[in-house]
Amino acid sequence: MTDQGDEGANVSEPLDLVRLLLDEFVFVKLRGDRELKGRLCAYDSHCNLILGEVEETIYVVDEDEEDEEPRIESKKSEMLFVRGDSVVLISPHNE
Amino acid sequence: MSFFGFNNSGHNQAAPGFSQAHNPFAGLSHRDDEGEALEFDDTYDGLGDQLEETGDDLNDDTFGGDVAPTGHGSVGRDFDFFGQTSKVANVIEEEHMRFARQQPPSKVAQHTPAPAPQSYDYGYQQQQYARPVRTGYEQYKEEPPALDDLQVDLSLWGVAPKKQQQPAQAAAPSPAPARKILSVEEVEAQMRAQAKKSPQPPPQQAPGMAPPPGLQQQQYAQQQFFNNGYQYPNMQQPPQQVPPQHFAPLQPQVPRPQDTSREPAQPAHAQPVQILQRPQSKHAQVPSPVAPSPVNRQQPPAVQTPQGLQQPHPGQGVHPTQILQNPNRLSGEHGQPSPISQPSHVAAQTHPGHPAHQGHRQQQSFSQQQQAPLAPPQVAMLSKEEQDAYLAQEAKRAKRNHKIFVMSKDNGIMTPQDKNFITRIQLQQLVQATGNPSEFGTDQSLVEDFYYQVHSQIQGGHRQHPSQPLNNFAQTYLFQTGSRQGGMRRHNRGGDNHMQRMEQQVQRAVEAAKNKPKNKQLVIEGSLGKISFSNAKTPKPLLNIKRTESSGEVQRPGTGSRTQTAAGGLSRKEALRSIEAVYDTLMKLEDHERWRPPPPVSEVEQPDEVQKSIEWGEQTARLNAKLLEALKVGAPVGVYPVHPFITLLSFNKTIKVMQRVFRHLTHQQRLTVLTLIVYSLDSMDVVKGAQVNNTNDIRFNAAMKEKVELFMLNVMSTLFNFIGELDLDLVAQLLEIVSDRNVGAIAKSKIGASLLTMILSRAEIIKHAGGGNEHSWQKWNYQYTRFFDHLAPHLPYIFPGSPTSGEDVYVWQLLAAIGIGASPDQQQTLVLQVKDRVMDTVTLAKTLPVELSTQRLNNVNLFMHSIGLDVGLLA
Repeated sequence: MTDQGDEGANVSEPLDLVRLLLDEFVFVKLRGDRELKGRLCAYDSHCNLILGEVEETIYVVDEDEEDEEPRIESKKSEMLFVRGDSVVLISPHNE
Repeated sequence: MSFFGFNNSGHNQAAPGFSQAHNPFAGLSHRDDEGEALEFDDTYDGLGDQLEETGDDLNDDTFGGDVAPTGHGSVGRDFDFFGQTSKVANVIEEEHMRFARQQPPSKVAQHTPAPAPQSYDYGYQQQQYARPVRTGYEQYKEEPPALDDLQVDLSLWGVAPKKQQQPAQAAAPSPAPARKILSVEEVEAQMRAQAKKSPQPPPQQAPGMAPPPGLQQQQYAQQQFFNNGYQYPNMQQPPQQVPPQHFAPLQPQVPRPQDTSREPAQPAHAQPVQILQRPQSKHAQVPSPVAPSPVNRQQPPAVQTPQGLQQPHPGQGVHPTQILQNPNRLSGEHGQPSPISQPSHVAAQTHPGHPAHQGHRQQQSFSQQQQAPLAPPQVAMLSKEEQDAYLAQEAKRAKRNHKIFVMSKDNGIMTPQDKNFITRIQLQQLVQATGNPSEFGTDQSLVEDFYYQVHSQIQGGHRQHPSQPLNNFAQTYLFQTGSRQGGMRRHNRGGDNHMQRMEQQVQRAVEAAKNKPKNKQLVIEGSLGKISFSNAKTPKPLLNIKRTESSGEVQRPGTGSRTQTAAGGLSRKEALRSIEAVYDTLMKLEDHERWRPPPPVSEVEQPDEVQKSIEWGEQTARLNAKLLEALKVGAPVGVYPVHPFITLLSFNKTIKVMQRVFRHLTHQQRLTVLTLIVYSLDSMDVVKGAQVNNTNDIRFNAAMKEKVELFMLNVMSTLFNFIGELDLDLVAQLLEIVSDRNVGAIAKSKIGASLLTMILSRAEIIKHAGGGNEHSWQKWNYQYTRFFDHLAPHLPYIFPGSPTSGEDVYVWQLLAAIGIGASPDQQQTLVLQVKDRVMDTVTLAKTLPVELSTQRLNNVNLFMHSIGLDVGLLA
């Protein structure tokens, strides 16, 4: 084992920053006008995420009534797997 | 069989196919050859004609004139090599004649001119088989009759050409006086005639059964064996002639002699035997089935069968030797040699394709029939349905046998020793993977059950657990194999060695695994003891570890202050980074732990081992230092509003990891951590953010509640264990530290109250155990008084919520801990302070259902008993 190079503080790729958010509450924006807020349990290089205590917000725009405000739906789930290809953004979430 | 005079013959005969698996295809190939040979001739002639027609004026010039025409003409009929072979064959035959004079010449039903399977490449086959075919013919010059016989059988199924039946009958009566040596031309003429007779493939052939070219080649090889071997049988015939007479009487009692005589000679040809008999059965009418003819036939058939009869079922032909032999045995038991047994064979023959297999079952099934020699014709008369059923059955059995053969192909390749050897290797690998963490290759086991390994390590089971299953396994294995081997030992000395070695190996592995935990203790405990009298077992590095660690802590505040002077302490991001660093380092440490080298037995003998463990120790020290640094434990106290370590502890993930971290800290380091926590109690968010209010029911948010629970679960339990090891002086110091802080705030939180309870009760336990010296107790008493004075004013306010909330158990516990150590004056103060709460609770309890009220009262009693009172007194 060598000492070098594996400092946790060492940032060598973007996901190293995501790592700091492990077990923290994060805000995740997804394609399809969806947002998630939850505790980041795990992630991988594809940005697949496991979120706990998730609140999902969906913005629905009905095509008929274009001027209307988007309808907002929200769901809560205890645990959620998010496929990485739909992830647009991950950020720390401060309540 | 010696008494029959068969001995010599038996061995010789066996030679060709003896220990080899019989290749059932051999017969096929022979037959094919014949057909092909004939066809080839035809083909060849035609081509030649064409060539000539085109006009070869220059051919003479090119090829040497005369040669071409003559060669062309002769190619078809005149096989030189064949002739030569025939010479040899002739010689052999002559010899055979000598021996076999008395014998009626074996009528060999040699060539069933079974048409070559369509699937074959004629040209290809001819090239390969040209020789064998011819040699076969020569020997069987007299075969034509035999052939007829065989074909007669075929006709049973309605397949065979009928012409041949008549000749067969004729042949039957004529056990040719002596074999005449036919000229090559004659033989060929016969061949041709036969070929023409049976141009179509017999229907019996399973269409799919045609052997692939590869198989044919094998067969070819075997054919040669046959050719060589079949000559022997002829020579041996004379001896066999004798047996028939003996057999008749012996049959009931000694069926075996026959078998044995046959088996050596014709292991491979088991099938042929049956087949041959079948013709006899038909002819049974002709000559009385008396011994001589059948016996004689047995041998020749061996040779012939490959060519003629077996051919129809190329696929089935492949049977392991054993299987093939079985039919013989069965037949032998039934007294095959005698014509009586033949009926069964006949029945079997109904399916030309599967002669061998049919033999087994049919013999059994027809055993009753055996006694009636007339059975064969009856069988032949079987109804169509029955025959069909037979065929179907046969096909099934053939398939099965083929499978068995394929599977058993490699049987017996490994000797018991080989197997043991392999087992040993596997065991070794197993031991390496599971049992012996010190050995390399551990990674593989980690891959498979990483979580179990880590879990068992965290649970403190260390090596012992992983080794446990191994022990069981090893013992079981040893027991089983040992007993099994026990039976073999008589026969197999060599196996013994392997077994012993294996046992030793396992023993060693088991012992190593057992020693593991012991060694660990040795290292830790022994390091102090060893140092004094021996420098042998690398005590030094172990000592060094401790020193660097403890000294590191002392120094660190200095370095820490230099690097991190940020007044605000850790930013959130820095904290997160540090936490990740903690996890990283921790995982490395845990991994490193698995690589702990076994303690060297002696420095002199194992310098490498010593070196290894030194390096290991150094690495451990490095990682440990790194862990502490990441934890920020060494940061200067009092510089920051909130100590960095405490900041880290405000993260759930840090709380979660503390238990694991503690395992890798030295006593001194743990003490440091504990001190830090105690010192910073009032600034910790689990204390500060979770202050109780004794008027209203507490309502911190869910997150805080969760965090407190988490903290209780992970940190407090760890600290509790650790405090349990402290002596009075240290406990007193802790109390002193607490007293300097905001005791009221501390006591108003669940965490703080619990910690106080721990400290106080530890002192009480020490007192009960008679520990501590006078000086220490004086010190403790002083600190206690001081602490009590600080706390007393806050006592009424440390209860969570109103009495109805029912969450105040821990407070009563704290009060009990305080009360036990309190002087009478202090007790009085105590009572005064909490009197209201006690009374309220008692009052409340009266309104509650019995269960709840007892529970509440018990809680109160925790405290009341500690000062020698009881709620009962209040009632």
